[in-house]
Amino acid sequence: MVRFLIPSVAVLLFLLEPEFAMLSPIELSGHIYYLVPRFLILYLIFISIYYSRQRAVMYGLFFGVLYDVFYIDIIGLYSVLYPLICFLAGSIVKVIHQHLVVTTSISLILVAILEFVLYQFFYLIGFTSIPLVDFLQSRLLPTMIANMLFLMILGWAFKYLINARVLQRAREVS
Amino acid sequence: MPHFFFNKKVILLLVGMIFLVALISFSLRDRTNATLPEQIIKDTVGVAQSIVARPANYIAGIFNNIDSLLNTYEENKRLKARLEEFAVVQTEALQLKSDIKKFEQIEKSESLKAFNPIQATVIARNPDQWEEKIILDKGSSHGVTKNMAVMTASGLIGKITLVTPFTSEVELLYTNNPNYRVSAMVLGEKEAYGLIEGFDEERNELILKRIDSSLMVKEGEQVVSSGLGGIFPKGIPIGEITEVSTDDYGLTKMAYVKPSADFSILEYVMIAKRTSTVIDGADGNATNEDLTNSPEDSEKEEE
Repeated sequence: MVRFLIPSVAVLLFLLEPEFAMLSPIELSGHIYYLVPRFLILYLIFISIYYSRQRAVMYGLFFGVLYDVFYIDIIGLYSVLYPLICFLAGSIVKVIHQHLVVTTSISLILVAILEFVLYQFFYLIGFTSIPLVDFLQSRLLPTMIANMLFLMILGWAFKYLINARVLQRAREVS
Repeated sequence: MPHFFFNKKVILLLVGMIFLVALISFSLRDRTNATLPEQIIKDTVGVAQSIVARPANYIAGIFNNIDSLLNTYEENKRLKARLEEFAVVQTEALQLKSDIKKFEQIEKSESLKAFNPIQATVIARNPDQWEEKIILDKGSSHGVTKNMAVMTASGLIGKITLVTPFTSEVELLYTNNPNYRVSAMVLGEKEAYGLIEGFDEERNELILKRIDSSLMVKEGEQVVSSGLGGIFPKGIPIGEITEVSTDDYGLTKMAYVKPSADFSILEYVMIAKRTSTVIDGADGNATNEDLTNSPEDSEKEEE
């Protein structure tokens, strides 16, 4: 049961992201803020930290390709960045403490890096022309706040679910 | 040197990099059709997505309803004020309608205005929002083709850029793609034609370029699609002019247009299928062909 729960949560988050994206952009006192939901990659980072780096990279590749083909139409962007982020997360966690607060902040920093790399890429190919300051104000900051709220609400649930799977696997082995 | 070649990881990395760059540049080309594996993935994800979109749209609808309920009193006041004008406008409209009918009979031409709407549900919006794109649950099997106009009740929102059998992708008007143009006209004392090209990110308004500088264009005038681009029907509202200035070279005028459609929450849209002859415009990669009476189509009709 728990075994299938982990990939199905990933699929659910993948499908929910665009639905939440429809609520964005929001307009507050004349300024326009973009909120980019990054639920799936946050979840994959948690898998990478608490479960298995290799597994997370595989999921990252799979969903990255889906993401590229379905939404972006530039194949090779998310399909590289997702596994790379998972790999980084799995490598970082080997040298630091695995407390929930620490992992939450690491996940958020990694997502910020992802956003920044994407901004640089789209700037390079000319899809966007907004200056860096605008990007930080109208995109990165609101996105980080929204995703932080998401992690604060559901981060413990991810950890609980993944730990249940780890325990189950340990039992199977013994 | 031979030592280098033994390092499998480095070679794998290099090959991977080359493959990646090739893949990205392949997909960045201005493609007209999705490849078969892409179509399969798009349709499969699209089906799953439309299942999730239904309850999500339902919930969003509830919030919208509450919102409109709260505004009812204000709205009622405003509408009552306009009701008195309405009777006058209605009789005028009836008169004009009968006039148009007479003229059409004389001219015997097809009206560029007529179109068959295809109702579609928005199943997803590009979550990373760098390219303004939405995905609809109707595709080529429902008669959708590339470059068709997509609109809501309040105005034009974009055009179809990619079609698979069961989904289609819409690029919204808010784009800086230089190949994206919509032929538009300003409804002033004298009709002025121009092209909607790009938008201003700071003002969040569309830019109407290439207006003849001898024509008067004023603030507050309505902008609608002209139907001269070949595929869009005529008369879909686009927005209202907020500022007029001359363009970079001082040869033509340009105007900022505040779009009439609301782009933030899109649930249900209409794809406008023009009933009169459709010409593939000379824009971008288009071929300037007659699409309605093309040999392929007429063969299909015979079958």
